[in-house]
Amino acid sequence: MKRCFVGFIALFVFVLPLTAHAGAPSDAINDTANKVIAILKNKSLSAAAKKERLEVIYKRMFDEVELSRLSLGRNWNRLNPSQQQEFVQLFRKILEKAYGDKILEYKDEKVKITGERMISADRAEVQTKVIGSSKEIPVFYRLRLKDGEWKVYDVVIENVSLVQNYRAQFTDILAKNSPSQLIEILRKKVQ
Amino acid sequence: MKRFYLLMFLIALMWAGYSHGADVAPTTHEAMVSGQARSVIAASSSVQENKVGIGDVRASAVVGESPDEEAIDEEEEDEEEVMGEISIADPLEPFNRAMFQFNDRLYFWVVKPVAQGYKKVVPESGRTSVKNFFTNLGFPKRFVSCLFQADFGGAATELGRFVVNTVWGVGGLLDPAANKELDLQRQDADIGQTLGIYGLGHGFYIVWPVLGPSSLRDTVDIAGEYFQYPFTYADPWYVGPSVRAYEGVNSASLRIGDYEALKEAAIDPYVALRNAYAQYRQNMVKKKEKREAPAPVEVKPAQRMFQ
Repeated sequence: MKRCFVGFIALFVFVLPLTAHAGAPSDAINDTANKVIAILKNKSLSAAAKKERLEVIYKRMFDEVELSRLSLGRNWNRLNPSQQQEFVQLFRKILEKAYGDKILEYKDEKVKITGERMISADRAEVQTKVIGSSKEIPVFYRLRLKDGEWKVYDVVIENVSLVQNYRAQFTDILAKNSPSQLIEILRKKVQ
Repeated sequence: MKRFYLLMFLIALMWAGYSHGADVAPTTHEAMVSGQARSVIAASSSVQENKVGIGDVRASAVVGESPDEEAIDEEEEDEEEVMGEISIADPLEPFNRAMFQFNDRLYFWVVKPVAQGYKKVVPESGRTSVKNFFTNLGFPKRFVSCLFQADFGGAATELGRFVVNTVWGVGGLLDPAANKELDLQRQDADIGQTLGIYGLGHGFYIVWPVLGPSSLRDTVDIAGEYFQYPFTYADPWYVGPSVRAYEGVNSASLRIGDYEALKEAAIDPYVALRNAYAQYRQNMVKKKEKREAPAPVEVKPAQRMFQ
């Protein structure tokens, strides 16, 4: 019987990394939020060093291709593969430029996870609140399970989805312009 | 007994391999991973109880996976939802773009400098109190809207908040009703939202000078708010507008940087703001509709996950 028990433990040792691998979406967000706050609170780091470290976290946290694909919606297929690649790069730079400095203005805001909802088997929404001194902002992360990791493909701030907001803009631009013109507009934007 | 160990080892390997090496069909694989985690647990528990053979383990695994087939169908619907667009008709675009420009300049040339100066003089806690005061004055609008939405719980919450905050919150400067003990949260209800719940669409998008983004439907709200605003009835005519301007500056002082960030992040700020407005308003309506008819479908997948 003791041997059986040992065998059972052995089975668990094999299975455990697997379940941890699939991981709960909330854990992924909680983990990332803690890391980001640790970097922001670190006074010994310069702004540039902080940004560098945040970019590494960003790349691990987000599913950049999915984010870009959904932001373009049906227009995604109008871009050829090299344009798609450049689009992903440019899109990251735009987000970095717009939100990078804003994140560095961090003033002891807290991130509280308020709920989790499965959208489908491989898509989930983690609901959080960013609690500042004078306001609370609901921020929802939509994640997708990709290669065993939960990656963010949309951020919904105060009920406004980032992806849908960009899709409206790109649809409007691509109704009047060609994909290469769009890339040109984005290049100018990041300069 | 050795056989038993071998069996254990094989099962463990099988699952580990299955989870990592299913590159053949990436999409279905991804959809199933969370299912697998559960079926592994189911399988391991059945091994523990019955010491059954591999065949039986497979059977239980199949049972564990079957709900995910439904989930895949759901995902297809979800893909529609993910790809679907929330839009608002904009026949007045040239006029609206001009008004957008006007409001943009008004913000950068007048509102922002004034708000920044004000911010330097009045500490954040003071400005938050002023905001609370004006929010408290907005009670009639929210109360009446809750009643029209047949949201009597919401109306009662609003009434309770108004009494508590007016009496114990120093005339609404503080917000004791929202703390943990009472937990009376503000009900974001307005007339435009009520009409939306009744099934009325936006009509089309309008950008009002000074007041900003709105729609034909939500313009009713602006009018309604005007009459529900106590200072509208103040004696010299300029008191009402002055108080409103002050309220505007105060709330802007708490949100300096938000509009700038939106503008900086946008490729076309006009379209970005229009879409943000459409999404925000649609969710206001949706949120309340859900409250009226609690949809069990919404909760089901989450429950399944945590069983």
